Amino acid sequence: MSTAVSVDAPHKVEVRSAARFLFIAAIVVLCIWVLLPIYLLFVNALSSPQEVSGFPKTGLPSFDFGSVRFFLSFAGVLQALGNSVLVAVLTMVLSIGIGAPAGYALSRFDFPGKESFRMLVVMTRAFPLPLLALPLAVLFIRTGLDDTAFGLAIVHTVLALPFAVLITFSLFSGIPIELEEAAWTLGCNRWQAFRKVVLPLVMPGIAASAVFAFTISWNEVFAAAVLTIQNRTLPAFLVQSLNVSPLHLKFAGGAALVIPALIFIFAVRRYLFAMWGIANR
Amino acid sequence: MHKTISILTGATLALSISAHAATAQVLFWSTQAAPVEETQKMREDVLSGFEGGVDFQPQEVGPFVTRLEAELEAGSGSIGVVGALHGELATYAEHWADLSGVDLGGIEVTPAFLELGKLGTQEQKYLPWMQANYVMAANKQSLEYLPEGADINALTYDQLVQWAKAMAEQTGSPKFGFPAGPQGLKHRFFQGFLLPSYANSTVTKFASDEAEAGWNMFKELWQYTNPASTNYAFMQEPLLSGDVWVAFDHIARLADAFNQRPDDFVAFPAPAGPAGRGFMPVLAGIAVPKGAPDVEASKRLVRYMMQPETQVATLLATNFFPTIEVTLPEDLPASARALGPAIQAMTSAEDAVPSLLPVGLGDLGGQFNQVYTDAFERIVLAGQPVRDVLDQQAETLRSIMEQAKAPCWLPDQPSDGPCPVE
Repeated sequence: MSTAVSVDAPHKVEVRSAARFLFIAAIVVLCIWVLLPIYLLFVNALSSPQEVSGFPKTGLPSFDFGSVRFFLSFAGVLQALGNSVLVAVLTMVLSIGIGAPAGYALSRFDFPGKESFRMLVVMTRAFPLPLLALPLAVLFIRTGLDDTAFGLAIVHTVLALPFAVLITFSLFSGIPIELEEAAWTLGCNRWQAFRKVVLPLVMPGIAASAVFAFTISWNEVFAAAVLTIQNRTLPAFLVQSLNVSPLHLKFAGGAALVIPALIFIFAVRRYLFAMWGIANR
Repeated sequence: MHKTISILTGATLALSISAHAATAQVLFWSTQAAPVEETQKMREDVLSGFEGGVDFQPQEVGPFVTRLEAELEAGSGSIGVVGALHGELATYAEHWADLSGVDLGGIEVTPAFLELGKLGTQEQKYLPWMQANYVMAANKQSLEYLPEGADINALTYDQLVQWAKAMAEQTGSPKFGFPAGPQGLKHRFFQGFLLPSYANSTVTKFASDEAEAGWNMFKELWQYTNPASTNYAFMQEPLLSGDVWVAFDHIARLADAFNQRPDDFVAFPAPAGPAGRGFMPVLAGIAVPKGAPDVEASKRLVRYMMQPETQVATLLATNFFPTIEVTLPEDLPASARALGPAIQAMTSAEDAVPSLLPVGLGDLGGQFNQVYTDAFERIVLAGQPVRDVLDQQAETLRSIMEQAKAPCWLPDQPSDGPCPVE
């Protein structure tokens, strides 16, 4: 490309500046796309009820903490927040703990029925949860798993597992088997080769798929509402009530749901970027 | 890294198991008082006085029913008391404990409601918990556009159309509002107000000429209706913001307008059609599942909920009115003062046509509502020919009634077997 364009220097500048303009415009649009709703959410969460339903809007928060205070005092919000984190972390650990070995096996070994196994993994997402929730709840009540964070985490793991398996499958497939073979010839056994050579290379990707499992669990409402009672997760606790609440409380509740997820994403962003190969440069 | 993961796993597992400690509180599983502010008031003002404590958990109908069915099927569970609408409770009649033995201490419960609570059996399956209704509300600015000779306490649908037309033409924008959003209660308007007012029926005469006339009226009214109505859920918000001057909704969804600006709004009965003034009282009841963890404690809670002080506190928390004889305090909030007389005027009107919420449909209730919502969307929003739509929707309605084997309920005449659709 460089040789062809360098013949016609002025043209090159023009193309480059146009491309640059497009690039920046696209970035601005994407940023607005993501940030504007979040901004509006926070402005309205920090405004008084009259300002939320009133018109015209100033677009600036008046720092009225009435709605937010209502939420913090709403019985059980903090406990529900704790439960949400607990269930999401359990889901994350379980889905990676089960999904990563499955992904490794799919990418490294040939076994009969491998293709149909890959299909079956995705099949678990084919059944809508409201359909599964009733028999699951009956089973959970009978086995004592009912109303435990662990029981709910198992259900969320089932939802997150297909993604964990398929993401880790492609991650392991991206690591040449020759690297492992080299480690074996240098005295590593199979496990050591995996731990010392493969794992450091796929760690960022695994972290990313763990984040994915976390958000799946964080956003799930129906199973959480049916399978837990004392140990509610935050979305099960809030989303249903918010649906039929006044506008200013919807905004405050929305903010309450978004903030923890944002904090989490910020905390793990290094791993997310690492997966796309732009960290540590 | 592995060490941290295993520590993390161990810790969370330990936490998740230790968190599962049983509590002695009675679990109150409810479809009512779901908005967060109402939930908060139910917990703090209504239920805090109950000895032993109550865990009040309002739910959307989907998870509510799923959880309830799971516990009924498993034969045990944690739900102590169920609070739901009459139709929702009627579905599980055989699973409720008999409440006729609960000593209410000389409280006069409205006899008609007690009879409904028997669900056609000899046992008291549920006790009437609270009642509500749907009314109209108007910004006082709108009253000057009322058609000549119209009395808002005895309005007809034709007058309502004229009124909405006058407002739309003279103010330059449509000022009538209707809760046609996804969370709005539009289907109740068609089931309990429009069709009974025109055809004196909800199901049987669904596709009659009278019903067609009703839909044509509504189609005309829609021209003078704020187009944002397809987004509205609670009419108190557009009323407060001034986008809408006249609206129809459930009293609990209008209350905020009266409480925030009591001097700006009036409440009045729903209009009447050729067949009378159709309206749909909402009755919520409390029942105790036979498999409740502690049936005696549950019955004590039911008794507590029926006491006059609790009933008044419930009115203040939810805007649902008591089901027992009770003198209301003087210092009621503005919403109860405004809405109470409107309900009174509507239910005691000479041309009153009371309709019940659907009974005996079970989990087909959603599909039943969808018939009316679809009819609305096709006739009014999509502008399809009224006759064709009604004929087609009547087919769907008939198959739902046959599948549910549900006999007719008011205002339709009692039927042997499934309610016919003519």
